[in-house]
Amino acid sequence: MQLDDTKVPKGRPAPRMANGKPDLSGYWKGTTQTKPGGNIGKDLPGWKLPLTPAGEAALKHNLTATVDPEAVCIIGGTPRHNASGLPFEVLQGNNKIVFMYWYSYFRLIPFGPGAKHTDDPDPSFFGEEIGKWEGDTLVIDSIGFKDEKVWIDENANPHSDALHVVERWTRPDYNHIHVDTLIEDSKFYSKPFHYARTWALGEPDEQIQEYSCSENNVDAAHLGFGPGPIRSDGTRGYENPAPLPPLPKK
Amino acid sequence: MRTRILFAALWLVAAAAGRAAAHHSFAAEFDASKAVRVTGTLVKVEWTNPHTYFYVDAKDEKGEVVHWACESGAPGALSRRGFKRSLLKLGDTLIVDGYRAKNGANLMDARRVTLPDGQVMVGASAGDGGPQ
Repeated sequence: MQLDDTKVPKGRPAPRMANGKPDLSGYWKGTTQTKPGGNIGKDLPGWKLPLTPAGEAALKHNLTATVDPEAVCIIGGTPRHNASGLPFEVLQGNNKIVFMYWYSYFRLIPFGPGAKHTDDPDPSFFGEEIGKWEGDTLVIDSIGFKDEKVWIDENANPHSDALHVVERWTRPDYNHIHVDTLIEDSKFYSKPFHYARTWALGEPDEQIQEYSCSENNVDAAHLGFGPGPIRSDGTRGYENPAPLPPLPKK
Repeated sequence: MRTRILFAALWLVAAAAGRAAAHHSFAAEFDASKAVRVTGTLVKVEWTNPHTYFYVDAKDEKGEVVHWACESGAPGALSRRGFKRSLLKLGDTLIVDGYRAKNGANLMDARRVTLPDGQVMVGASAGDGGPQ
């Protein structure tokens, strides 16, 4: 359930690890204040992404020749998971942090003095992710992304294998986690852009549950290409759907 | 009236909860201009990820039996909103309201399911951008 952030208590300090760093652990849920949901361009004027001609072509390809990768059980990856409506769970250790997602995906990020990028990382959906602390901010720097079967958000916007993502995670208070994301992709975007978002803490008994995406994914055969129409508010869906029939009379 | 108020409340809860369940865009699979009601006999249930399916045999306007596949949210999402597997009993008559697949198949997005006792359940993966 998305939470109304105006009703989430604020001001209680974030918990800290024994080493003094903020503890980002928790089950984090989106809020109704994040608009438009699912759109990586939400912080840009008119949600207009700075696509290069190659990026425009890639977007057209996604819209007209690809089904949503998540719909065929492919990992959404970074930064799509940050633009998703799905909650996620964080467990933090002294040298690693894990982000766990619905659909049974996770990313495990090392941080500390020995964590550094390799010379030629294997392309992956989450990229090669390296963390470090800058004060109370966990900075995750990611390179080495795949360039096929990926959408950067729910609206089928593209990214290439030149993608470089820098996430700056903070826990401003006990009940909130925040990310400011720098997205660079010189192949598909003419300039870097930012995507920021805040999530609210779930209930103590909430957690990621079992989810076997390919158990019975028969709907894939019925899916069209792309996400379908995008509404004027920047979200996917139809503007004026037909109403359902009236409720049956008892 | 009580049913309508209860359904409205359930829908608001499900609409928010569903954002956590969407597996693909509603508009990639279903046509929002084709609202349909199917009334028929429940013949099969697949309580599975990424979507729950249940199958209903209903008569068309010519009296011929049509086999409808009704797609709903993931089991976890349905269960959290009170739509439990145990509520679906083979042989029951269901009233299913939703939207037909864009490709014209006898497949619908089951946004709303009326059970034999009059309970109305929200079946939608509401976070898919579908009609609320």
